[in-house]
Parts: sequence; C-alpha cells; structure tokens
Amino acid sequence: MTSKVFLAIRVPVDPATAFEAFTQDIAAWWQPDPLFQITPQGDGALHFEPGPRGRLVTRLANGETFEIGRILVWEPGRRLVFVWRQASFTAGQSTEVEVRFEPVGDETRVSVEHRAWDTIPRAHAARHGFPEHVTLQRAADWWRVSLGALRARLAD
Amino acid sequence: MSAHDLDRTLAALADPHRRRVVDLLREKPYRAGDLAQATRLPFPTMSRHLRTLRQSGLVEEDRDALDSRVRIYRLKSEALGELKAWLAQTDAMWARQLVSFKAHLQKGRK
Repeated sequence: MTSKVFLAIRVPVDPATAFEAFTQDIAAWWQPDPLFQITPQGDGALHFEPGPRGRLVTRLANGETFEIGRILVWEPGRRLVFVWRQASFTAGQSTEVEVRFEPVGDETRVSVEHRAWDTIPRAHAARHGFPEHVTLQRAADWWRVSLGALRARLAD
Repeated sequence: MSAHDLDRTLAALADPHRRRVVDLLREKPYRAGDLAQATRLPFPTMSRHLRTLRQSGLVEEDRDALDSRVRIYRLKSEALGELKAWLAQTDAMWARQLVSFKAHLQKGRK
C-alpha cells in the first residue's frame, strides 16, 4: 500500500537559497491549518534547530516548546529528513518527512515525501477537526474535492 | 475501533506482501489465484496472507458469481477509511505549505 504523501513544487531560487529559506524562515511561511493542528494549542511558531543533530520544534502561544521531531539528515542545499510527530500521536507512533531540493535550470524543485503514515492509529486519525456531518469514510473524498484546484497549481 | 482491532490491523499491514495485496485490492477485486500471480507467491502462502487480512477486517471474501468454487477478494469499504483521511489531511497540509513557501520566496525576490 502507499504509505506516503508526495508533493513537489518549483520555486524561483537556487537550491541553497531554497534550503535556507525552508529551514530558517519556516515560522514566516508556515500556514497553520485550523482543521489539522500539530498540537491542541495550535501549530505555534515552527523553528529548525539546525544541523544533523538538530530538531524541529514549535513554540506555542502559552510559552511551551513542543518537539515535532529530530533531524535525521541535514544536507544544506540538497536534502532534509526529520521525524514528524503530532501531539496526538501515541508513544510508539512516528512519521518521517524528507524534503529534497533539486536544481531545474535556475530554479529548484522542492519535493516533500511524508512517510509511514500507516503507523498512525486509525482510531484518532481524523476524529477531531472534521465537520461532524462528514463521515470518516467520505472524509478523504471531501478533501480531494476541496484540494483539486490547489493540486493543479502544484503540478510540475 | 478497539485497541485490539487496531493491533490486528497494524499487524496485518506489517507484512510487505499483505501491503501489496491491499494496494492491488484498492484498484479492484481479485481472485486469490490472480493475487498469488501478481505477487509471485505460492498459492498456499497467498491463502495464509488472505486469511490474516480477512481476520483483521481489512478484506472480505465473496464467491465468484459464475463459478462458486472461486473466491473473490475485495477491500472492505470502511477499511482504511481513517488512514485515507489522515493521508488526505497530510497531503492537504503540505500542499498548503508548499504553495505558501513558494509565495514567501517570490515575495522575498521583489
């Protein structure tokens, strides 16, 4: 089964700049999603503590810091891999995000692969956040429809 | 869904051959023999995997309308619904983030 999400977009800068902006400016470009939050207190201000032993954390409005995950691979201008755990995950559950920066002419193709989502327990996967009239069975379709236009813009 | 059911589901999905079967069944129902062929597994091995998947509630078994000796396997419609939802949500999240990331870079260039 396909246990990952894969998306790519082309950005008008070189890979080194794209990597830098992705990691250093994440608090500026990250868009909190009211339906799918990293913690019950919201997404907070995301921050990469750089380097191969670093981590991705978020500072919440209440002053607390939540660790989203450790950095597994830190190759500036090329590749970034980190652990992704939302607050609702249980102790044994984890997912992993790989971001690649590949030169395409003067630009960069940025791809995100979010792996191993099938380790997330089904019981809490979508309980919170969905409007109550949307059944879980239909939730995926519901998202697909609302995403159609956006996905077209992401194609590269 | 109880914790016990969940354990069974995750255990069923822990095996790469069974994941492959679930993948195939997403497209359409299959006969057991065709699944064995598609995954290049001996028929008895495939039968064992299908039994595990059936017990976990991911897959259901029907008899072929034309030949009742032949079993047809299909993905239960409610199976993986929440996993699909999680996938869709994560997909939606990154779609938003990447569009926003690109906009951020474009703003920075002006």
